[in-house]
Amino acid sequence: MSEQSVQEVALRVALERAIARKSDEYDRRAREYADRLTSTKLDKTQVRGLETLASTTDKVSDITDWLKLRVGRDSKREGWAKDGVGRDLVTELEGLRRDARKIVDELRVGEGIALAYPVDPDLERQVHLRLCREFLKHLAAHFEYLKAEQER
Amino acid sequence: MSNLEYLLKRKQRIAAWSDRWQAEAARFADSHRDLLPKRITNAQLYGLGNVVRSARRYADIERFIRRQAEKAERTGRLDVQGYWNDLKDALRKLHDEAQALLKTLLSPRTSGREDLDMLHRELARLYVQHLIAHSLYWTPVKEESEQ
Repeated sequence: MSEQSVQEVALRVALERAIARKSDEYDRRAREYADRLTSTKLDKTQVRGLETLASTTDKVSDITDWLKLRVGRDSKREGWAKDGVGRDLVTELEGLRRDARKIVDELRVGEGIALAYPVDPDLERQVHLRLCREFLKHLAAHFEYLKAEQER
Repeated sequence: MSNLEYLLKRKQRIAAWSDRWQAEAARFADSHRDLLPKRITNAQLYGLGNVVRSARRYADIERFIRRQAEKAERTGRLDVQGYWNDLKDALRKLHDEAQALLKTLLSPRTSGREDLDMLHRELARLYVQHLIAHSLYWTPVKEESEQ
């Protein structure tokens, strides 16, 4: 295996670890959103729909556009627009970009990896997308659990 | 570069472009906020979305926008005419973006006018997707229900 290949594997491993660490950190915040969403008229299908979109798209903007549209269409303010939960979630997801930047910056300098080789300029965006997926995965799981508890 | 590699690279570059340009489309929506949702209605925006999604050539999109501007001019709604003209300019500028993107993709086949037009349409579709989402997002619900 060439030196570059070894460095690329090391970078990938470090990246996965950093994303997993962040994912665990997001769990509590995602639960708070799930809690707020249980007081809306949204059902499991709608929240799962968001999670599915996040896991299949290759764009962060698809996720935030999806949410913005639903907030905008919710004229009765009983769903995504209730008490600003949808807007807060858009801000939250957009804010994960900062975490993505930090992860990539730390990989560049902290781990001593990939210094000799250029890192994909799109990496930060891709990490941002992964973080959004992680956040929404927690949110959907908590929502389903809380909703089931509520219905019992 | 194989055809598959090319397609994957193209997809990734377009995704990155779309994420980068979301803010620009949002700025366009914000700078015309006073026209929403009464002068430029949600129905008109959805109509634009449908045209952009189904257009077979970029010229079809521009024709639709030009007609909207002409209709507004005939009825003396100059602010609305201005909106459509501004949008026409914004989308036309994406031609340069499409050209720049194509240059970075070393296509395995010769990229001609057809490829450029297709990419221009794709970028326009993404821009309009962001524009519609952001326009509806900040539209005051009260005013909307008064329509």
